[in-house]
Amino acid sequence: MDLNRDANEHAAQQIYARWLDACTRGAFAVSLAAFLAYATGALAPYVPLASMPALWGLPVDEYLRRTGAPEGWGWIALAGYGDFLNLACIAALPLVTALCYLRVVPAFARRGEGLQAAIAAVQVLVLAAAASGFFAGG
Amino acid sequence: MDAAAVPWWIWPIALFAVSFAIGIVAVLAGVGGGVLFVPVVGSFFPFHLDFVRGAGLVFALAGTLSAGPVLLRARMASLRLIMPLALAGSVAAFAGALVGLRLRTDVLQIALGVTVVAIALLIWRSRDAYGPGAMQSDALGAALHMRGEYQDPAAGLRIDWRTHRTLAGFASFAAIGFLGGVFGLGAGFANVPALNLLMAAPLKVAIGSSGMIISVINSAAAWVYIHHGALLPILAVPAILGVMLGSRIGARLLAATPAAVVRRLVIVVLLLAGLRALSRGLGLWT
Repeated sequence: MDLNRDANEHAAQQIYARWLDACTRGAFAVSLAAFLAYATGALAPYVPLASMPALWGLPVDEYLRRTGAPEGWGWIALAGYGDFLNLACIAALPLVTALCYLRVVPAFARRGEGLQAAIAAVQVLVLAAAASGFFAGG
Repeated sequence: MDAAAVPWWIWPIALFAVSFAIGIVAVLAGVGGGVLFVPVVGSFFPFHLDFVRGAGLVFALAGTLSAGPVLLRARMASLRLIMPLALAGSVAAFAGALVGLRLRTDVLQIALGVTVVAIALLIWRSRDAYGPGAMQSDALGAALHMRGEYQDPAAGLRIDWRTHRTLAGFASFAAIGFLGGVFGLGAGFANVPALNLLMAAPLKVAIGSSGMIISVINSAAAWVYIHHGALLPILAVPAILGVMLGSRIGARLLAATPAAVVRRLVIVVLLLAGLRALSRGLGLWT
């Protein structure tokens, strides 16, 4: 095996692993804190916890109609409530992948590996398109 | 037991425990775990299936993200193998989501179920399922540097591997992504046979890389559920926390587990997934 090439591969992979590790540990800690604040009532929810057992068995459309919870990006305006703060923590998870991909684009480019850098950059664009909600209608 | 008589806080705690256990098994089988989470939580918990599906997707996302660092550092997942295949899969998943409502999903579910059960039987019969990989890369695989090496503590070997049939691999991951988009749930359980049987990646590399590919594809798919309001934090967050802990343990166990044991686990999970898809397609269990 070409040792230089293998070292290069390992370097980019190590960078991805390091960022992924830091992001997932951070996401776990923040999600745990946010959920405890929500479940204990320290942070008031938009939909009261006591009413959840009567609502969580409903289809999603009926749940949204009864609670008035928003679709699309409308939840951001409600992130001060415990339940929507937790939704923000969930939404941070798909961003982790995009962040790690963004980080390895220059790492590959610096090593003269334009093809890998281009693949990573296109993947970031695909993830950004998904986050935009443009394709959510499917 | 009457679910309405149970205090609400019991359910998040039970979800955390179930998710922790599934998280360990999912990494060892190279799947996201949604294929186990959705039927278990859908059957034994009081939540509507709309919310269980949404939680199943972010469950798989959280588990595969969390296992990633361990798998990448141990080189049981290869970034160069993951990136092009995940790109093909995620673009196709978009296309699948856009046309999903126009196709008869019951027919597709039956076709998927039959295919997955057949793949499980193929792995069962194949003696090379945990072999050393291809001897030579094809031209595209070589251009994309789809090769690597890793230490297998269970076998006591340092394994040098490379893949072949790269174009067929792209087509497979596009098809897997497309089906995942059509069904609204990942079809990640087909990743391992595509990587191992078709492209000749060693079984443990196939399993580790499969999880990472699921993390990329689900990172795109999760937004569909977020934008549709189909994620209930009271359900999804305990599942995420449980699987994040469980999958880290699963990733460490993967290195130490003999490949033959892992192979049997993959066969069992594929059979479960295939039979579940079949039962949904036939309307026996939706």
